[in-house]
Amino acid sequence: MDQEFMAQVETKVAAPTEAPERGTAAMQLKNVAVSFHGRTAVRDCTFDVTKNRVTSLIGPSGSGKTTLLRALNRLHDLTPGAKVSGQILLEGTDIYRGDITVTELRTRVGMVFQRPNPFPTMSIYENAVSGLRFNGVKKKAILDEAAETSLKSAALWDSVQNRLKVAASNLSGGEQQRLCIARALAMDPEVLLMDEPTSALDPIATLKIEGLMTELKKRVTVIIVTHNMQQAARISDDCAFLLMGEDRAGELIEFDTTEKIFNNPIDPRTLDYTLGRFG
Amino acid sequence: MSNMIELEEPEATGHQMRDEIRTISDRVRRRRQLRSKIMVTLCAIALSITAVPLFLLLYQLFNRGLPVVLHTGFYTQLPQTPTLITPNATGGVSNAIIGTLVLSLYASIMAIPIGVLVGIYLAESDSKLATSLRVISQTMAGAPSILMGLFAFSFVVRDLHIGFSALAGSFALAVLMLPVIIISSEIAVRGVPNTLREAGLALGAKPHKVSMKIVLPAAVTGIVTGIILAISRAIGETAPVLLVIGGGYINSWKPLDPVAALPLSIYENAKSEWPSLRTEVWGIALVLVVFVFVLSLSARIWASRKQQAR
Repeated sequence: MDQEFMAQVETKVAAPTEAPERGTAAMQLKNVAVSFHGRTAVRDCTFDVTKNRVTSLIGPSGSGKTTLLRALNRLHDLTPGAKVSGQILLEGTDIYRGDITVTELRTRVGMVFQRPNPFPTMSIYENAVSGLRFNGVKKKAILDEAAETSLKSAALWDSVQNRLKVAASNLSGGEQQRLCIARALAMDPEVLLMDEPTSALDPIATLKIEGLMTELKKRVTVIIVTHNMQQAARISDDCAFLLMGEDRAGELIEFDTTEKIFNNPIDPRTLDYTLGRFG
Repeated sequence: MSNMIELEEPEATGHQMRDEIRTISDRVRRRRQLRSKIMVTLCAIALSITAVPLFLLLYQLFNRGLPVVLHTGFYTQLPQTPTLITPNATGGVSNAIIGTLVLSLYASIMAIPIGVLVGIYLAESDSKLATSLRVISQTMAGAPSILMGLFAFSFVVRDLHIGFSALAGSFALAVLMLPVIIISSEIAVRGVPNTLREAGLALGAKPHKVSMKIVLPAAVTGIVTGIILAISRAIGETAPVLLVIGGGYINSWKPLDPVAALPLSIYENAKSEWPSLRTEVWGIALVLVVFVFVLSLSARIWASRKQQAR
């Protein structure tokens, strides 16, 4: 990463002395609930996602982590019968009712999926700049620069710079996932949503991506869904714990700093889960 | 508990039982092997019954067709009617070869864009319109091909006053090709994993861009295979063009001219009273078969290369 950028980042990190311990919110969730055909999948989610921090969503299967995450970039829009209620604010703008188009929202809130899904018909380069292309960027100089910067940020540049024209499917699973991260970063998003980004990867590829996230949060706010509690403990600063209620709908049990969630949670169920007593 | 008791029984009895089981299983095995042999024989007989006519047909085709197609005049000359003085002067079928190319070209231009777009729409939409379009195209796929000819005749030739022409013929063929292209495109597009669509949407791509830049390229192998199948089918069709192309005795690429077509020439030559014209039929048939063969072969090669490149 270039030094100028790093310097900027450092001032950013050093600055919040006058701000309260929690920085400004990149996203705010207020009483968010998602339902499909009238059946609630997740509800009662109220918490702030702080800028330049990694927020993890943890909880057992069926607790609505992914459902909640997909509400944050309106990916439920095309699902028939899906309804999102409550308020989700991005820099103060309601993403469902505010003055923001869904395309703009998705360029500002990027996403990395559970399984690496690079576009199979495109080369590594084409994949990296695909988001820019979709949004009408045509100048080669801009695309070239974006490809290089984003691939560098995803720690992929060194291994692919000599084979940018090769089909993305030739990469290993871990590399493909980092290419997907690069693809999202090329849009220079404010928030990056990650839906169990390492669950399909081997331990070494997982470690690489985890290491990457610590770098990434200097420039983007990361929200990550994970099944892996060790991972949540290792990489996240804040943690939202969700659990399936009696009516099989997920709900937010507790939100706090990761340290508190794992060491000193308020709700006994959180402790039970983080200690591995269920789930 | 019962297991314990059986274990305690004298060893001799156990041996006897084992022997008995063995003889029974020998009998069963022999019966099964016999049954298996009978079934394999039946399958082999069925296979040869199917293969014999196929090989006879190919033998006829090459045996009678090859001498005809080895004359260059067959491709370059216009057809002639033999006379009593020159009973073997049949000329060639250049008009029919060009006609068939013209018809499939114009039919493809009409059918491919519409068919592929409708296929994508059917795959990506669950609307009532999509459902009814799907039912219509499935029905159309099974409709008798003479119906397309009749429709083209009354609509293009008569109502639109275009007359007997390549345009009318390719219209009929296009209507015939449409359902094949629609159905295969829909299947190909449905086969594209949803995670790719979501990846595109999550990058802020508009739905039509997702369809065009992500889904379509990923589905292109299946779509092209469907297109080639449709063209191969259209090339061999006689009924739809019978009523509308006018059987032109000129080499013309113009859409409004009447044209000839290979299958139609087969039909007309076969009912001729001149033996020389009847012989020519096999040459025309051979050309037609080679056309279709080359088309489907190239489609297969292309598709497998494309698959490997991924």
